[in-house]
Amino acid sequence: MRELNPLLHSQLRLGVMSILMNVEEADFVYLKEKTESTAGNLSVQLDKLSAAGYISVKKGFVGKKTRTTARITEKGRNAFVEYVDALKQYISMQYK
Amino acid sequence: MEERKITEAESIEIITSMISRTKERLEKGYGDILLMWGYLTVAVTALIWVLLVTTNNPAVNWLWFLIGLIGGISSPIMAKRKRMETGAMSYTDRLTSNMWSVVGFTAIASAILCFGFLFIGGKDSWSMMFSFALIIVPMAEIMQGLVIKEKSLIAGGSVGLLIGLFTMCCISAHITLLATWFMPLFIIAFAAMMIVPGHILNSKAKRES
Repeated sequence: MRELNPLLHSQLRLGVMSILMNVEEADFVYLKEKTESTAGNLSVQLDKLSAAGYISVKKGFVGKKTRTTARITEKGRNAFVEYVDALKQYISMQYK
Repeated sequence: MEERKITEAESIEIITSMISRTKERLEKGYGDILLMWGYLTVAVTALIWVLLVTTNNPAVNWLWFLIGLIGGISSPIMAKRKRMETGAMSYTDRLTSNMWSVVGFTAIASAILCFGFLFIGGKDSWSMMFSFALIIVPMAEIMQGLVIKEKSLIAGGSVGLLIGLFTMCCISAHITLLATWFMPLFIIAFAAMMIVPGHILNSKAKRES
């Protein structure tokens, strides 16, 4: 039985990864709104996902305001697919 | 949401909930761009029509460039602003945006070719721009309608395409595109292709939000 990836097996990080699997890129405000998280917490989790190489984070400016955008990397995509596969195994075990 | 360990069942719940939240049809807010192109084209066409009928001066045809100039500058600015407002770009957004870029570059290439032919005496080559506007643009619109499953785009694009095919047949049959009947037809095509779907898209986006 494969173990669930601990980096993804957390509420907010999994939420972020699920969103980024569905859009090409998303900015910080969008992620904060969709995950209903606090800015500080989201920022920390984005750093963790970025450090693992699962997402790439780009910081830029729109006028005078900063804009942080995130997109999933190939490594992140593979990790998410593996996580879902492992999850399927766990769930099918429960129903056996 | 917070940073905490979750059960397997909760994982499934998070994944499905996030997927449904991102499926809030990001691509639906682009009615304003269609409306801009639609009203701009209709206004410029009506202006040229009136000037042609009243002055009979073919030089007013240079005003057609206003469409490409104003639309070509406004469109990417509006698209960028919309993307910033939405906060995310879906794969569909990228697909449709690239498709319209191809249409834009084809329009520029067509205009350059028509210019070239104009200098070697082929003044009728400008009629090709009408075929372009009423064939390539509706084709792109129908494609976009199919991708985002929006019937108004498919229907509007089909009306434009039919008028475009009719225009191409007229050109091939050497039937002169007279301002008296062709200009209203051109206006109808753009109202059906851009203005009607633009308002429908905007009202749907408003309802969904």
